[in-house]
Amino acid sequence: MPVMFIRGLGIKLVLQLKAFFLTMQEFFLFSVRAFMSFPKIIRYWRDVLDQATICGTDSIPIVLVSAISIGALLAIEVGNLLEDFGAKTMLGRSTALTVIRELGPLLMGLMLSARFGSRNGAELGAMQISEQIDALRAFGTDPIAKLVMPRLVAALIMFLPLTALSDFAGLQSASYMAEHYHRIDPGIFWNAVYPRLVAKDFVVGFLKAPVFAVIITLVSSFNGFSARGGTAGVGRSTIKGIVVSSGLVLIANFYVSKIVLENM
Amino acid sequence: MIELRKVGLKYGDKEILKNVTLTVEDNTIKAILGPSGVGKSTILKLMLGLIKPNRGQILVDGTDITNMKETSLYDIRRKMGMVFQGNALFDSLTISQNLGFFLRENMKLPEQEISQRVAEQIQFAGLEGYEDQLPESLSGGMRRRVAIGRALIFKPHMILFDEPTAGLDPVSSKKILSLISSLRHNNNLGAVIVTHIIDDVFNVADSVAVLYQGEIIFDDVTEKLHDANHPFIRSILSDKILEL
Repeated sequence: MPVMFIRGLGIKLVLQLKAFFLTMQEFFLFSVRAFMSFPKIIRYWRDVLDQATICGTDSIPIVLVSAISIGALLAIEVGNLLEDFGAKTMLGRSTALTVIRELGPLLMGLMLSARFGSRNGAELGAMQISEQIDALRAFGTDPIAKLVMPRLVAALIMFLPLTALSDFAGLQSASYMAEHYHRIDPGIFWNAVYPRLVAKDFVVGFLKAPVFAVIITLVSSFNGFSARGGTAGVGRSTIKGIVVSSGLVLIANFYVSKIVLENM
Repeated sequence: MIELRKVGLKYGDKEILKNVTLTVEDNTIKAILGPSGVGKSTILKLMLGLIKPNRGQILVDGTDITNMKETSLYDIRRKMGMVFQGNALFDSLTISQNLGFFLRENMKLPEQEISQRVAEQIQFAGLEGYEDQLPESLSGGMRRRVAIGRALIFKPHMILFDEPTAGLDPVSSKKILSLISSLRHNNNLGAVIVTHIIDDVFNVADSVAVLYQGEIIFDDVTEKLHDANHPFIRSILSDKILEL
């Protein structure tokens, strides 16, 4: 009996591994086709603009809210910590590094994974189960060029200014809290920020934007295209898209920081 | 002409089609009859190259499309129009935009000609006054007529219908069937109709192929269906609608 059980588990594991590698292969081919569609950008420029509005302009409120709240909290907590060491004047420096290198881009990535990624997954999933994607193919339109490439281009363009906005809002709220909570003069705060920031800090932060754009767009779109099994299937594929892309954003955040900081 | 030669298809361990051989001549209406979930719609997708068979050959006007690349298939697909079971209309576009969508996408036609073709299809489908409505505001029969109009707008040689009367009331079904009949008489179009409703077959089809357990068990002119001895065909002739 235990032998049968172990053999059953083994077969199940092998099948799951096979399914995983097949999915990875499909995802790789899907991604290659999305990048290979870039020359069609002129044809689909209106779709790119539409998607830029959705992932860029429409995302400003959620990016601002998350950046302002995390900047303010960071200033309070780090300020309290620095006070113990009598180094409160270093608040600007520590907050700026954390926001620009790490939390600004990361929070923006997670917020857009939830907002833009879920929209992609649900919209494309609904199109898949209602055969609209098959209809595109049946009438001679490449669905990846029409639906995925504009989303990818828009995200690549818009995630950069959103990162800048997230950094700016985070630092402004940190400065406000430094002044009103810790009673640090804004001049002292900003003097600890500007002179000490170097190119590396911006490279770390802004390199993450295109990496997150690729991860979020391709993962959510792939899951939308893979939706099966009616409306419940759309729900499943959307959730999967958000969970996987958020996880990958966290992992990519770590590796981009590590690689850039070690090599610059 | 569309030909399927000994086509086999498997999804995982499940064998959907086994050695299916089928020919659809130009300017004829061929029905594919069978119970739900037997692989009838899959045959239409194979004809369009939307899915690839595991074995066998698919030829469209003599061209082997079995292993053709997706980009090369686009020209082949434009020879055929497809009406999907759920219509597959773009729900964020108006009726006019739906009808003109693929002309704008894939054919370098002047806007004036596109508008003219859209107007023709609106008239053909009897949807005057609904041009600026979204699909959700139309009835099932109207949506089906828009889907037919969208398939016709390319002026294809052949049109593929996936369950054209499924989910429609008897009056709408009758309208759709007469529309399909008129396509051959007025537009010289061939058609493939996938259905599980036997009355649809007798109403419009010149020939019929019966698909049962992944195999074609009958393929001949519609009138000869009455002479078939296969127990499944005898049972469907007595029950008329396949609710399996």
